Amino acid sequence: MLDPKTAWAPYTPGADTPWDRKKVGHLYRRAGFGATAAELDAGVKDGHARTLDRVLNGAPEAEDFTRTSEFMASERSMPPGAPQQRLSAWWLDRMLKTRHPLREKLTLFWHDHFATSNAKVQNARFMLGQYRLMRSHALGRFAELLVAMGTDPAMLVWLDTITSTKSAPNENYARELMELFALGIGNYTEADIRQAARAFTGYEIKEGKGAFNRRAHDAGEKTVFGKSGTFTGEDIARLCLDHPACPRFIVRKLYKFLVSDTDVPPAELIDPLAEEYRESGFDTGKLVSTVLRSNLFFSPTAYRAKIKSPVEFAVGTVRALEGHAGTLPLAEALEGLGQVLFAPPSVKGWDGGPAWLNAQTLLGRNNLALALTSTEDARFGSRCDPAALLAGHGTKGDEGQVDFLLGLFLQGDVPAAARGKLLDYLKAAKGVKYPAYWSADDVANHRARAVTHLVLTLPEYQLS
Amino acid sequence: MSTRRDFLRTSTLLGFGATVPTFLGRTALAAPAADKPGAKDTVLVVVQLTGGNDGMNTVIPFTNADYYKLRPTIAVAKDQVKKLTDDVGLHPAMSALARLYTDESAVCVVQGVGYPNPSQSHFRSMDVWHAAGTAETLTEGWLGNALKKRGVPAFHLAGGNEASPLALAGAPVRVPSITSLDDFKLKTSGVTGADQNAQKGVITGVADAGAVPMTSQPNLLDFVSRTQTNTYASSEKLASIGKNYTPKVPYPNSALGSKLKLAAQLIDADIGARLFYVSLDGFDTHAGQGGAAGAHANLLAQVSDAISAFYRDLAGRGHKDRLCVMTFSEFGRRAYENGSKGTDHGAAAPMFLVGGNVKAGVTGEHPSLKGLKEGNLVHGTDFRQVYAAVLDKWLGIDAKPIVGEGFKAAEVFAK
Repeated sequence: MLDPKTAWAPYTPGADTPWDRKKVGHLYRRAGFGATAAELDAGVKDGHARTLDRVLNGAPEAEDFTRTSEFMASERSMPPGAPQQRLSAWWLDRMLKTRHPLREKLTLFWHDHFATSNAKVQNARFMLGQYRLMRSHALGRFAELLVAMGTDPAMLVWLDTITSTKSAPNENYARELMELFALGIGNYTEADIRQAARAFTGYEIKEGKGAFNRRAHDAGEKTVFGKSGTFTGEDIARLCLDHPACPRFIVRKLYKFLVSDTDVPPAELIDPLAEEYRESGFDTGKLVSTVLRSNLFFSPTAYRAKIKSPVEFAVGTVRALEGHAGTLPLAEALEGLGQVLFAPPSVKGWDGGPAWLNAQTLLGRNNLALALTSTEDARFGSRCDPAALLAGHGTKGDEGQVDFLLGLFLQGDVPAAARGKLLDYLKAAKGVKYPAYWSADDVANHRARAVTHLVLTLPEYQLS
Repeated sequence: MSTRRDFLRTSTLLGFGATVPTFLGRTALAAPAADKPGAKDTVLVVVQLTGGNDGMNTVIPFTNADYYKLRPTIAVAKDQVKKLTDDVGLHPAMSALARLYTDESAVCVVQGVGYPNPSQSHFRSMDVWHAAGTAETLTEGWLGNALKKRGVPAFHLAGGNEASPLALAGAPVRVPSITSLDDFKLKTSGVTGADQNAQKGVITGVADAGAVPMTSQPNLLDFVSRTQTNTYASSEKLASIGKNYTPKVPYPNSALGSKLKLAAQLIDADIGARLFYVSLDGFDTHAGQGGAAGAHANLLAQVSDAISAFYRDLAGRGHKDRLCVMTFSEFGRRAYENGSKGTDHGAAAPMFLVGGNVKAGVTGEHPSLKGLKEGNLVHGTDFRQVYAAVLDKWLGIDAKPIVGEGFKAAEVFAK
């Protein structure tokens, strides 16, 4: 373990920690949804400083992307009753095309954090509103996000704040605010929850927006965390932000998201960041920048220390293939992999880490990889074409193809035996009795598709 | 405290050293000596009601005036309750289960189940039930530990979006999660049998090469490789199971119905399947839960109809005496309703055991409505007493090392 000072100090390349393709791939996976071949090449060529700036700052979105995405999110195309999968597909489209993947990635972090499901909210407008709230604060101030979440219409429905009454307050939001959104279990009492629940009364939705109705609010004195006052919901959120557990709770969660699923960082590593986070007024952008630029982030502690989420797996694959997948079928396929956007399994979000992979979801990944690389899958059309990708990058011969694909998807970091098996397959595939009407090109396409699929099933490719 | 979940994550990696699913090994099928409990290849199906089932509107104390006072809008009227005893009865949506109770003597209701100092966090309380313990860090499940003692073939029948439960963690071999047999296949683009085999050979060969014995340091790559090897072997085995399962009775068209139907199919497939884990979510009824009809009623109907169909299907195949379905939830709900016409998180609640060999009837007392603790029902039976019975008397596995000392088995089985 690096000492905290060194750990969070900015990474600079050294003899034993060179800036290379593996580090570019690592950065693009964590700060976004994976790199294309061109991004990997540019990242190596431009060096760590320029690449980090590029990834952290992003680029302005293309005008037609913004226009199309906004149109697709308009009330006309996405009415309140729009089906779940259309919402999910809409976000996947943004992830695939955005020029600032880090912002979408952090929005996904907050979606997992404030996990709200349209399965209960049943209102695409509200879900989009919450998405916009999270996106606008994704790299902004958590303090503002936490306060705003208390009057977010989707959240007001999701955790029943709108149905709570001052005569018999509903504890749902108060509990999850403390347990899951701000502090973590063990940092509050049941009495704190019951008192705070009184503060979250009088909130309603008016013309699609969260509103405060003073007459329906319990204006009496409450005692929360040992402090007394005639608190409103906003006051409770601020009391949570003032609680010493709050910055540590968020920093730990972000550590898991950006650095490692399995490493349990000691307090000495978390506390300096938590203190900085609090002092900065919960500036998430600054925190994310510190982490992504750090020695620790580019150390073995972080490298391949996460299981890709289904969204990362799917979006990363399509991006690297330089293809266009139908986002509706993609959204549908992701359900079988265990991640439906705008519909997390519970208010705790997705467990993530090793929980992403079980027998069914693993087969789901393999079979989605097959569907995306196959030119024949009816759902995805022929818009991901590995043969065209290989040709476009001028690869030659079996070794050239395998090395290009391993370089693209895994930056060449796989055991020699795995590479050997892929080459053996390409060799064996020359001897297969193909249908008589197949041309030489058909056979070449088939081999390219098949070997690409096989690369995507490698154990290393399941890791981020 | 904040690191508890992190420990959990790490332990998931350590949970299984071997890689071959239990139902592939012949030894797994060996039954214990004939005079021992569990001798007859008993089957356990755990049904998790996720979110905190409102026990008081499930097994209803319909003669208790306090019940109606505490719940002015969501109480179920006396004349609608499906009476089990003079004092308690089932919610009217559970008529199918009530019929199993009266006509088949196949239902045991354990009232007032919980544990001391109950947590009202969904996630903490669920972990307590899964791990059968209240230590701060919970890394292994009660069923995972049971599987260590006897590696009976087990399946987690998962819905989409549903991770493998902590209850099964710690098993020597990871319990496969299956959503549908149709999707439980490793597909390739092979154009001929040889091409398919060559492709599968690469996929499984790479996984096998990586699935090395566990080292002390959990490593994500080992975890992936072992999960792959385990999965490919399971999928190969299950590919042989016939697609055309015809149940003896129709199953309801519901999520739980489909899962239990799949369980019946696997039981019938003669692969020695003996342990199943299924969940149904939606019980977190903070608002608008309804009374005799409504959201909670619909959930109870789904539970009752699916379990009833499952029991009758297996009974039709001669398996009813092998079967025990056990339901549980992480907690019950607050005795009094809130202003949202729902109920907040509570404590004690009933469990159901269904099967040909359960001790039919209602055991335990309904928790007192006069003696609430902070508005919550106080448990009379510790859930680990029910686990102890299931382990000792049903699966024939020594319960003590799993649930701990001092939990006398609840009397829930006929013999």
